[in-house]
Amino acid sequence: MERMIARFDEKAEIIEHCQAAEDIFVLKVAAPAVSASARPGQFCMVEVKAVGSSDPLLRRPFSIHAREDGGRLSFLYRRVGRGTDLLSRMRPGEMLNVLGPLGRGFRVRPDITPILAGGGMGMAPLLFLAEYCAGSMDTFTILGGRTASELTGLESFRRTGTRVLVATEDGSLGTRGMVTDVLDGLLKTLSESAGQCEIHTCGPWPMMRAVYEMASQSGIPCWVSLESRMACGTGLCLGCAVYGTEKILHVCREGPVFHGDSIRWRDGQ
Amino acid sequence: MNRNFPDLSVTIGSLSLKNPVVLASGTCGYGAELGDLLDFGCLGGIVVKGISLEPRAGNPPPRLVETPCGLLNAIGLENVGIDAFIRDKLPWLMGMDTAVIVNILGDEIGEYAEIARKLDDAKGVDAVEVNISCPNVKSGGAAFGTDPWAAADVTRAVKSATSLPVIVKLSPNVTDITAVAKSVAEAGADAVSLINTLLGMSIDIDTRRPSLGNVFGGLSGPAIRPVALRMVWQTVRAVDIPVVGIGGISDANDALEFLMAGACAVEIGTATLVRPGTAVGIVEGITAHMESRGVPAIKDLRID
Repeated sequence: MERMIARFDEKAEIIEHCQAAEDIFVLKVAAPAVSASARPGQFCMVEVKAVGSSDPLLRRPFSIHAREDGGRLSFLYRRVGRGTDLLSRMRPGEMLNVLGPLGRGFRVRPDITPILAGGGMGMAPLLFLAEYCAGSMDTFTILGGRTASELTGLESFRRTGTRVLVATEDGSLGTRGMVTDVLDGLLKTLSESAGQCEIHTCGPWPMMRAVYEMASQSGIPCWVSLESRMACGTGLCLGCAVYGTEKILHVCREGPVFHGDSIRWRDGQ
Repeated sequence: MNRNFPDLSVTIGSLSLKNPVVLASGTCGYGAELGDLLDFGCLGGIVVKGISLEPRAGNPPPRLVETPCGLLNAIGLENVGIDAFIRDKLPWLMGMDTAVIVNILGDEIGEYAEIARKLDDAKGVDAVEVNISCPNVKSGGAAFGTDPWAAADVTRAVKSATSLPVIVKLSPNVTDITAVAKSVAEAGADAVSLINTLLGMSIDIDTRRPSLGNVFGGLSGPAIRPVALRMVWQTVRAVDIPVVGIGGISDANDALEFLMAGACAVEIGTATLVRPGTAVGIVEGITAHMESRGVPAIKDLRID
């Protein structure tokens, strides 16, 4: 039997709900039980429908963006569909059912320097990881997006003490280019000590694949946080399947964070 | 017994349940996945994920898509196989104070019988639920459940392989579900449970591809509840064996509708995926309803 971390289905009060950019929101809730056992890279299933409604039926998976004092958790999300649109209209004081913490998060080792690489909304789980690592180790965080306005919350990352490197496709902030362009430069700078690094990445599939391939070529372990459609988030339905190199993997239970070597990248999403 | 306290216990053939609320197959894993989120001692029973003779890897992703008030799935019956189930999963279930019902499936009749035999030898199984919605590989692939004769053949094979109570889970993807119900009842089924999922599909207009890797999937959730209730009502009035109601039941009011239609018990499926504790709340809600109306037993809920 695999080790089971305590999970809770908690009625959580919305403490803050800010629009950080067009279609990007930060939701802060009071969920003391979920918060207390949460680890970086884990996620929650958040119920977005009104009480008594059956539509939209399913909860939405959100990775934990940050953990704050007082049993609070925050989620960073983009408004992409009906579920997140409904969620974005909810106000402080309203209650949300939050089930978590779920899944297996990032694995960090004390003697290894973590390089965090996030593309777009993929930065969501990385802030919690940066906070977790802060103080005990040096970290680098590479954040990439199409344009500067997408990269909200850079200050939150900087406050953790991680060294933040930025890439935008239009060159409006940081290096013009992709996350991998910055990663390539960083690995060259680190040169020999790159062997003492580990990469943790989250973002669009092609970006994670490129990061993983670059890491592999440098002989650096790479952990990837995957997304999938989900119904339960708890291993009941087996719906969130992705192709692994040896077998089907379930994002909610064996993931969402996987070692890059275990994913069959060519069958991407 | 205190006459103000309703008796929630029910029997399905020789199977006794402490209350009529059971977790439905495919939405509660093998039980242990829910162990920290649900008090199994409060439940009438659990129907574990469908088990085949050999392990199955399931369908290619994507396996899920949300639809209005519903969920369309094509998991493809991914499961560990009967031997690993008995060895690795059943011991945990035996420790729970609730009835353990094992859902079984196969590509041919002989497989159903062999699984049933293995369960008959295993300790800790209280009943078998037979999924007849699978394709009958030897007869061209149409589901056993769409042919009353094939459904009866599977039922007879399972009945002769085990002394456990046999519940046959019916497919709604037929013109007349009562014809299949009557056929399996005559073949010796101790009960029927219905409905399994309704066959459906969805297309992603951006990718111009079917949303599911398997193209077709099974629809579940509140969207199918009126269809399920109608079929339960008809079946209750067509056969003399107990009928277990399934289909989009999400709260106690939904469950009461099925019990009033004449179901002897209900299974909770998709609602558990959304809220793991749903079934426990339903037991409490049924109890409260019976207390407030002075209904002494579950069978007294039934209407004509």
